Amino acid sequence: MITLSYKGKNTFLEAVNKKSGSDVLECYQCGKCVSTCPVSNFMDFPPREIMQMIKLELKEEAQMANSTWFCLTCSACSGRCPREINIPAVMEAVRHMAIEENFHPDSKRVKNIRKFHEIFLDMIKRYGRNYELRMMAEFNIRTRNLFKDMHLAPTALLKGKIPLGVKPLKSKKAIKKMYEMAEKLEKQNK
Amino acid sequence: MKKVSYFPGCSAHGTSEEFDETVKMVMKTMDVEMEEIPDWNCCGATSAHTLSESLAYALPLRNLVLAEKLSNDTMTIPCASCYQRMKATKVHMDEDPELAARINTAVVGEGKYEGKVAIKSMLQYCYEDMGLEAIKAKVTNPISGMKLACYYGCLLTRPKAITQFDSPEYPMSMDYIVEALGAKATPFDFKTECCGASFSISDTDIVLQLSGKILEMAKESGAHAIVVACPLCQSNLDMRQHDIEKKYNVKYDLPVFYLTQLMAIAFGFPKEKMMFSKHIIPVDSALAHIGEVIEEPKKPVKGKKAVQAESEVE
Repeated sequence: MITLSYKGKNTFLEAVNKKSGSDVLECYQCGKCVSTCPVSNFMDFPPREIMQMIKLELKEEAQMANSTWFCLTCSACSGRCPREINIPAVMEAVRHMAIEENFHPDSKRVKNIRKFHEIFLDMIKRYGRNYELRMMAEFNIRTRNLFKDMHLAPTALLKGKIPLGVKPLKSKKAIKKMYEMAEKLEKQNK
Repeated sequence: MKKVSYFPGCSAHGTSEEFDETVKMVMKTMDVEMEEIPDWNCCGATSAHTLSESLAYALPLRNLVLAEKLSNDTMTIPCASCYQRMKATKVHMDEDPELAARINTAVVGEGKYEGKVAIKSMLQYCYEDMGLEAIKAKVTNPISGMKLACYYGCLLTRPKAITQFDSPEYPMSMDYIVEALGAKATPFDFKTECCGASFSISDTDIVLQLSGKILEMAKESGAHAIVVACPLCQSNLDMRQHDIEKKYNVKYDLPVFYLTQLMAIAFGFPKEKMMFSKHIIPVDSALAHIGEVIEEPKKPVKGKKAVQAESEVE
């Protein structure tokens, strides 16, 4: 397939290539990634189409799609890509740029996924480690779905599958500082 | 006695305590001493790399720097997700010293990263460093009779550039280990399909679909149980199994063991110490197969005419 693309400086394509360390122009649209991807059927646009959008500078469309949020980074696609493109890294680059530039896909599922990750990182910031039970509870509260997974609670808690507490880190300050520094690095990187 | 550094990961103190406990039993039997990384922190898992590149590197990097302060040349990690994050950080830092220096500024007060320590998943350590022969030599209670589907998940062998271990499509290391314990590994095509991972909480429907397919294929392979080496795979396949059965109106009843639980049993540790009570799908039905003789499928006997036809061709 012949693709006219805007190869040049300051393009979306160039930014994605730089961030991901892959060359999206290499993609010849065979679709192997789509048939390999375990979640392509949940995506607005499967990986192949996201690749094409990047080539065509359809920046907003790619960033507003739920696709990059559903990517599990399982790397099944990149292992089979005949052009050896690191597809999960490309998806991640698009997602990171969308976060930086405040593009928020308007889907409840994406909002939930994002909220989960934010709560997870918040747990680490607070305790240095993940506090599983608290994380689940906060997720239910913040997504206003109090009874989600409640049917699992009696068995999981009685069997001790999910412990009630967490052993926090001694050097919590180091983690707080790391978060501050990471935020600075992120801004420098823009 | 060999000595290695040990990074248990958050779930070892949470949902996968039984993995942690049995890893310790296995390592003790194999004469390997484990030294836990002092005051380790969470690797950031999927969440860190989803939202922030800097945090995704900085969180594991602190652990790598801490590990270098110990005098061991290898660090073993039971959790597949922790392993993936730490190894990816190591590979990227070693490739790009500029990136390493930049991320190192976020690891405040712990020192400089030098890249001295090798990182191995527990599966990789068992297979490469202990070796099949040595494992076999310690088996006092073979688990022969059990048919097991070995499920690796996505992060233990993929991407190849990061893990540098086994096949990303059809790995065999775990199959060889369970066969060294006396069991039979079934031919199982969904070995490295993703279970849905962290969507377990944020988008459960995806996990029910993906893990459901894995259970279906494991059952079809004739397995009595599934063996895993990842806490998230275990909880998705075990804790969500009833939900999957309900959603798709099927019945699997497939217990999900950690590899080290089976190794510990074969090494003669009592069943009571495996913390099987934490499993949602009871394991007794699968363990009851120990001692059974598995009949090899007979080769089809060729009829007289077929033999005659073949010799005519020759």
